[in-house]
This record gives sequence, structure tokens and C-alpha cells, in this order.
Amino acid sequence: MTIQVQVKLFLHLRKNRNQTVEVTDGATAGDLVGLLGIRPEEVGVLSINDRQAALDQPLKDGDVVSIIPPIGGG
Amino acid sequence: MPYGYNGKILHVNLTDGSWEVEEPGEVWYRTYVGGSSLAAYCLLKHIKAGIDPLSAENVLVFACSVVTGAPLSGFSRYTVAAKSPLTGGFGEAEAGGYFGPELKFAGFDAIVFYGSASKPSYLWIHDGDVEIRDAANLWGKDNWETLEGLREELGDKRIRVASIGPAGERLIPFACVQNDLEHFNGRAGMGAVMGSKNLKAVAVRGKQKLEMADPDSVKEIRRWHNERFKVHPPNVGLSKVGTSGLVKGLNQAGILPTHNFKYGEFKGVDKIDAEAYHGTIYHSSGTCYSCAVKCKRRVALEDDAYPLDPRFGGPEYESLGCLGSLLEIDNLPAIARANQVCNLMGLDAISTGCVVAFAMECFEHDILTTEDTGGKALEFGDADAMLWVIEEMVNQRGIGKVLSQGVKKAAAAIGRGADKYAFHIKGSELPVHDGRGKTGMALGYALSPTADHVETPHDTAFAANVTNLLPLGILEPVQPLDTDAAKARYFSLGQKAWGLNNCYGICNFCSVPIHAMTFTRLVEAIKAITGWETSLFEILRVSERSNVMARIFNNREGFSPADDRVIRRWHEPMPDGPLKGQRIDPKEFQAAVEMYYEISGWDKDGKPTPGKLIDLNLEWLIDNDDPGTGETVSSSA
Repeated sequence: MTIQVQVKLFLHLRKNRNQTVEVTDGATAGDLVGLLGIRPEEVGVLSINDRQAALDQPLKDGDVVSIIPPIGGG
Repeated sequence: MPYGYNGKILHVNLTDGSWEVEEPGEVWYRTYVGGSSLAAYCLLKHIKAGIDPLSAENVLVFACSVVTGAPLSGFSRYTVAAKSPLTGGFGEAEAGGYFGPELKFAGFDAIVFYGSASKPSYLWIHDGDVEIRDAANLWGKDNWETLEGLREELGDKRIRVASIGPAGERLIPFACVQNDLEHFNGRAGMGAVMGSKNLKAVAVRGKQKLEMADPDSVKEIRRWHNERFKVHPPNVGLSKVGTSGLVKGLNQAGILPTHNFKYGEFKGVDKIDAEAYHGTIYHSSGTCYSCAVKCKRRVALEDDAYPLDPRFGGPEYESLGCLGSLLEIDNLPAIARANQVCNLMGLDAISTGCVVAFAMECFEHDILTTEDTGGKALEFGDADAMLWVIEEMVNQRGIGKVLSQGVKKAAAAIGRGADKYAFHIKGSELPVHDGRGKTGMALGYALSPTADHVETPHDTAFAANVTNLLPLGILEPVQPLDTDAAKARYFSLGQKAWGLNNCYGICNFCSVPIHAMTFTRLVEAIKAITGWETSLFEILRVSERSNVMARIFNNREGFSPADDRVIRRWHEPMPDGPLKGQRIDPKEFQAAVEMYYEISGWDKDGKPTPGKLIDLNLEWLIDNDDPGTGETVSSSA
């Protein structure tokens, strides 16, 4: 079974920004990052439905996932 | 008996070789806690206003905190502080590594140095014993030779050493203090203050166990914390590529300072980013005491022009920016080589890169010519010119000697309009984050006592959501490009949260607000270590108190609202890149600074009001103009 999530990508990840992606039910945010071909180290802020989330958070149908590369700190 | 700390501050008089131990008591520790806060207390108490920072009257503080050395990731940092020879104001720099915890295990929470030794010396602390020893054979040595020399002399490979290189001995006002050649108290010229005191190094060794109030809870928090690093962005990135991962993101956001802060986008970024780094010069990862993140990088390269040795540290984001994009240098081995020279010689890589950028822009505008440089062209993009300037500065030759005073003083000495290209705030060169793309960061630069950026939130991280800031009462996403009252409020709240890490000696990369720690769990950790029934309210007050003390120190030294500013270039439109046309409106910025004063309980002159001082348990500072006692040791508050 699959679910659909909406993905918003920012800055240098933004190729194909705002896309709808189909993932298997039970997939995590980290699985989605891998599916998009983004390396985990390229993720600075990851939020699901405007709440910051970890890579092991499971996704639900209809979630909106935003991925911003690291742009703070150092 | 106290938990988490020793209850002992070591006061060392280098002039007469005496030392004594002060035991200030729990109320004092709970008020001042450690790190930048404890240091600010000592500087206000013991430094007379107006002294020469490189005279024996300056006071130098090494400060751990009440939680330094607890077995939690990131709880390893210590502060070095003194009146800064670079700015003439409050000087402070933090470093991680193993030195801070070792000092705690050796029996002391902090060391306060007074006076100046008559000959090169070092301090040796081992299990509560203190000796001031001769360092004649170490003077002139680089930081690696110093470390090896001390290991041999003291017959112990496991000593921890904070030392200065030749740059500190030669009083270069942006000389740093380092430990293990991987960890640097980089900013504000603390290495020059050590040099002025003839203090080459502090060596420590301690076998004492840190007693904690509730070790089982600390253990549980440690397990939780270290698991979170594996899944919490951006800690995943820090573990994989260190801070080099920031290079590309900042460039794409148009805020990677380039060409002496003129541009925010660097065309050669692909040659210096995380991928290039790890595909070419990367050797291995390093870490700090008890830390699971392992963000440190070591580099290696067998190369005739730019040989790299993994013992001497690898460049962080700031070095990649300051010695790379800021100079338009895309030669990664050369950048790493320059970083190693800075590490061995004891120069702050941030100020060093900014000084070279200043020199290159002066050369571009014919303010400096080959007549000034003895024939050497200093053009942007020329890696060998960068290395040449660094060498001339270390060796105090020709134009290098002039430049080694920092951009503000060098511009004054050069004249000919050079100050137009001397970018500094309060006399300090800037870390590489373009304020035009994150105006909260610009406020941070302007209002930080040291013009640094580590007590400041990065607006760009909160443009999508503010989950991590909700406990502070920041409830709406942040607009990175706006400069208004809401931004002043966000900055004021954020500054307290970021600033607490320097007070408690905790690494930003392991702590609140954006890395793998929550406010709730941090409070639990501090409680489990110290046994204090503490709260988010109390730890934010510690941070605010620290900032206010540093502010009073600066006010006492003659700083005024005119110094709470950013560089000219950020008021000018970005000429190119993703943020083309973006500028910070000077009037809006000024209004935001004034709003910050009001929010903070400061008057129009930027001075904390008596009410604010009472609020923060700082009654003793109500007479702000009190010039300090200048006494060697005074009783605690």
C-alpha cells in the first residue's frame, strides 16, 4: 500500500520543488529523503506539516514535508 | 559538597608567582554558573577601566562551568576571557576539546591570571597541585612543538594543554589560544593577552571524578541524546561532513561572504564544499570529550606546495569561508594549508582571512601597491598571495606587520581611504554570514559584546517553522529579510537561548535550540548534574545576566550606541546572486536596535537601567561607571 506526501524543497535542493511523491505506507522522513536522491547531510531543517521532524518520523498520507539545506551555525 | 563543580577558583599572580584558591559558595555559582558569565564577573571585578589590554593590569580568565565535564555530548567547552587587544572591549572566546573537562578533574572550575611573569612561563596543574614553571625552551615554538615539549617534560602523554604559538608571543591582536590543535579559543586576541603575560601554556592533568547529583538520570539523558543525533537534522550532517556542509547551503541562499563581503555567492563553491572536501583532503574525524557528534575534521595531503598533516587540524566552515570564498580562492589544499599555518602559529583563522581580504581589496583599488608589498601582487583568487601575507604577519615583516594589527588599525596606519574596505564591528573582523540575508544575524553582530555570531539565531533556519523556538514564545515563522520590531523581539529571545550555551560551556551543535537537545531535557540535565531544582526561566536569566555584564564592561570602556552597527556594505544593495538588490535599510536597522534596548530594559544610551540590574541580581553594578577595583582577589558577591 502507498501514501502520497507533498514535498517542498528549498535552495540548492529545489530542482523539482513542490512535487507530490508516492511512498510506501510506513515509510519515514529519512526514507523519503533517500528516495528524492538527497544525502542526509544535505538536510538542515526538515519539517512535516510545519513542525520540525526527525528522519525517523513515519509519514502519513497527505503530509507536507519541507526540506531546507544547512544554512545556519558554524 | 557541591555536585557538578569543585567550588574552587584558582587565582594566580604571575608577577610574584603566588596563587590562592577561592571558594565562593553555592549562591555565587548559581548566579554566575561558568563560562562567559563567570568570566564577565571576574573582568568587571578585577579590571580597571581604561587599562592597556597588553599590560600586566589585564586579567585573563579560563572558565569552565558547573556542568563542564559531565559525560554528555557537548558539555566540554570552556571560555578564555580578558579585555580584548583587538577591540579594547570585552574579549571572550570558547573552545571544546578535552582541556576544560581535564581542568575540572584536576580540581578547579576556573583560573584567573593577574600580572605578568618576568620570563616565559607555563602553569602546570595536576590533581589540585599548582606550579608555575619555566617555559624558556618553549618560547618561539609552534603549538605542536609546545604540546610535544610539554608531554616530554612532564612525562605524561595524557596531559591537556592550552597554548599559544609565535603569533601570541608577538602580541598579534587576533592571536588565539588552542588545545590539541583541533580546538580554538579563536576570537578577540586572547593569545596575545597570554603572550603579554609571558604565559606560554596551561597544562592540566586530573584524575578526580566529577560527582553528580543523579548519575543515573545523566546516563539516561546521554542515551536519549546520542540516539537523537542519528536522526536529527542537522546533526546527521555534522556527523557526516562537519561544518563544511554549510558552504553550499549558504552559497545557494546568497549569503556566503565573497570578495571581502561584497558578494554573497561564490562561483568556485563546488571546489570548496563538503563534497570536494571529503573527496580530496579529508583524512579522519575528530571529536570532543564525551561527544557522539564527531564534527571535527582532519586533513591529509602529500603535496609539495600545500602539504597537509592530520595532526594539525582541518578547516571548519569559518575557515573555508574566510580563507576561501572571502578571498575568492577555490584551491582547497591551499585553504587547508593556510588553516594549518594559523593553527600552528596561533592565529585566529577568521580575523586572518578578513585581514587578507582587506589587503586584497586595497590592492584592487591601488591603495596598496607592489611598492608597499616589496613587489608582491595581492590579487583576489591568488592562494600563494594569501599564504605570503599570513607568513609576513607571523614574522612581523613589512606590510605584514601593519596588517597584523587587524583591519581597523591597519586601515588607519595605511590611510589613503583604506578604511572604506576595512570591515569590522567594534574593531573585530567578522565571521562569514552575510547579514543582508538574515537580518537577525545582523542584529546579533551589532549587539554582541564581541561582534561574534554564536549567541545569535540564524533567521534562515526558522523561515519554514519555529518548532524549536516555541518554548521561548516565538510562535510565528521568521522572515529572514525583514528588519522590524518583531525581528528585534525574536533576536532578543533567541540571543538568550543561544547565549546560555556559552555560560554553561555547552556546544551549540549538541544543544538547544536547533540541535539534538530540547529545552526540557537540558533543564533536566543541569538538574541531574548539579542537584539544583532549576528551570528554563533560570537558565535564560543566567544568559541575560552574562550579556548585561559584558555590555557594562564595554560601556565602561567607552563603547556607545554608535558602535552597535553593521558594516557599510550590508547597507548597500547586494550586487549579484540570489539576493541581488537586497540591503539592510539603515533607518529600519537603527529602529530595531533601539527597540532591542527597550525590550532589554536598557536606556537610550544602551545602558542597562538600575531596575534591570536589580532584576538580574546585579545590584553591585548599579553604579555602572565604577571603574573596577583592580584588586588581585576580592571577596565574592
